[in-house]
Amino acid sequence: MELHVEREVVVPADPGEVWEALTEPERLEEWFATEAELDPRPGGEGVFRWGDGEERRAVVREAEPEERLVLDWDDGGEVVLELEEVDGGTLVRVRETSPDFAAALELSALAWAPSHA
Amino acid sequence: MGAVARVDRVFDALGDPGRRALVATVAARGSATATELAAELPVTRQAVAKQLGVLMDAGLLQPTRVGRETRYRVTPEPFDDAAAWLVEMGARWDERLAALGRSLTRARASTSSVGVLQHRRTRGKPARPDDGAASGA
Repeated sequence: MELHVEREVVVPADPGEVWEALTEPERLEEWFATEAELDPRPGGEGVFRWGDGEERRAVVREAEPEERLVLDWDDGGEVVLELEEVDGGTLVRVRETSPDFAAALELSALAWAPSHA
Repeated sequence: MGAVARVDRVFDALGDPGRRALVATVAARGSATATELAAELPVTRQAVAKQLGVLMDAGLLQPTRVGRETRYRVTPEPFDDAAAWLVEMGARWDERLAALGRSLTRARASTSSVGVLQHRRTRGKPARPDDGAASGA
């Protein structure tokens, strides 16, 4: 089972400015993570760290400048960021998909089965 | 019910965005009654009651009688992991996108002042360190 979180926001900047904020490490550190490393090309790697000690690693699956950035997380999840020019700025659409919880759920269902069978 | 049928029920129950929202809301509150959920979500109490039934049949929520009311909780592990992920990731993106908006607003403000400085230089004024800062203030 995969879950996803979706958000949309319009920011007061053009898609080129937003793309820089999404792909330049020093800009990512202003909004996404405490420390960021990213090579924003398909196959490029990203490492993100947060103040609580969490670290997440990703590989860039798609990078279409000013349009679409897709990262595959090393835990199996993914995040898709899409940009679209609109009146007043850029619509930023995010869709983050969870790691696959299916294996855990299935084990749990098997464990419950005897009392429900 | 066999294990496979049970897994199918879990997947079916979570295939519906309204039911996922219901589970996420219950998880976020810790526990909730149908009335509380109907007040928080854009659905009627009858619709909430029906969806709670589906989620209970799938074993994802468990009811507890407290006095006259029935409170629902998310069934513990491992579903807690999934519900917690939904709630936490949603909150994180809300924060991040707000920070992104602030960052872009700041960047735009500083870029426009740099643009003014560069524009002046291209008109042939000697580029001294204090040149633009003094006259631009």
